[in-house]
Amino acid sequence: MTHATPEDLYAALDHFRTKVNENQRLRQMNRDWNRDIAVVAKDLPDVQAWIRMRAGEMDWERQPCDDPHIVLTAPTDVLIGIFQGERTPTEPYLDGSLTLRGSQEDVLRLDFVSLMIWGE
Amino acid sequence: MKRVLGVSLGSSQRDHTVRVSMLGEEIELSRKGTDGDLDRAEQLIREHDGKVDAIGLGGIDVYFFARGERYVVRDGLRLMEAARATPAVDGSGIKDTLERDAVQYLLHHTELLKPTTRVLMVSAVDRFGMAEAFVEIGCPIVFGDLIFSAGMPYPITTLDELADIARRILPEMAKMPFTMLYPTGKEQEKEGATERFQEYYEAADVIAGDWHFIRKYLPPRVDGKWFLTNTTTSKDIAELRQRGATHVVTTTPEMAGRSFGTNVIEAMIVALSGQRPEELGHEGYAEWLRRLQLEPRIENLQGGSAS
Repeated sequence: MTHATPEDLYAALDHFRTKVNENQRLRQMNRDWNRDIAVVAKDLPDVQAWIRMRAGEMDWERQPCDDPHIVLTAPTDVLIGIFQGERTPTEPYLDGSLTLRGSQEDVLRLDFVSLMIWGE
Repeated sequence: MKRVLGVSLGSSQRDHTVRVSMLGEEIELSRKGTDGDLDRAEQLIREHDGKVDAIGLGGIDVYFFARGERYVVRDGLRLMEAARATPAVDGSGIKDTLERDAVQYLLHHTELLKPTTRVLMVSAVDRFGMAEAFVEIGCPIVFGDLIFSAGMPYPITTLDELADIARRILPEMAKMPFTMLYPTGKEQEKEGATERFQEYYEAADVIAGDWHFIRKYLPPRVDGKWFLTNTTTSKDIAELRQRGATHVVTTTPEMAGRSFGTNVIEAMIVALSGQRPEELGHEGYAEWLRRLQLEPRIENLQGGSAS
């Protein structure tokens, strides 16, 4: 059972936004990628987060995303781990704890984004 | 007669069997595509394990390389390990030598390649030897690994940056289902969105690398350009001719109207030698490539004088 709170998730999303936006190379890579991403925390059904990628920059809001290109669903602690860079999305994706709904290219691209920030 | 089976994640529409004579030995080369079905590929390998002399793994890599680092592709390794008795190879044992040699051959024996030739390599981590060979010559080059595998409009222009991005991405990406990284099965038959990424084709004199990546975004017109690749069929060649390409150079020889993947050529060498891949090693493969005298095959698509 997770002890993560909505505030922990929001802090992780803030951290992720900073890392995405300060990475000039990543911004250039994503300059054509305008996507709406819904973040769904399985164990916190009232929590809503909407990530917006626009011309390489990321922003997010605490509100539902009506017509997302990608829906990212996982337990809160998994989401926090990914947005904080403490874990890659690959293993939770492969073991089924993280589900990504969207086009294959968008899903792959989201994986690239996190690996470009955290991968070493 | 030696028997070599190529098991490919590619389209079954490209299946074929040919018999060839190499160094006085008859060899049957058979290719079976599984339309992107990894389980079926594994089953095919198990069914033929111990019954053929060597197995080539096509439409998938077992290893990616960048600057001395080797990244193991999880799905590729799964297929390789499905063969217990018969050696299974993915082409990486000969690719480095064969493709470096092909670039050198084109530089020294043709007018096609010069140090000023602008190169688009659609993917370099599966052909790092070719990538290094172009860079050593001094060719201006774009590595399209992010463009063609992930649809990211980011041309990589140096081997250092390629190695840096590979170090960040490949350890994890190599664990993903291979079908997410590379067109397999019916995806190989689809025409790409032909206006997308057209500028990278237009800015190059030669388009090099994996044929299915090349074809993914192939523009309607490629006038004046030539292609360095392999695994092309006669239909692919006709398509390039119709779109205005001048030449197609394949790093592997044509047999019965198509060029085989390096995996099949490596498997053929393993079958001919009677040795396991680890016994052959880099030097062993290089010696067999010398004996087989494999040279790039250059096809002039628009007639006129051969270059």
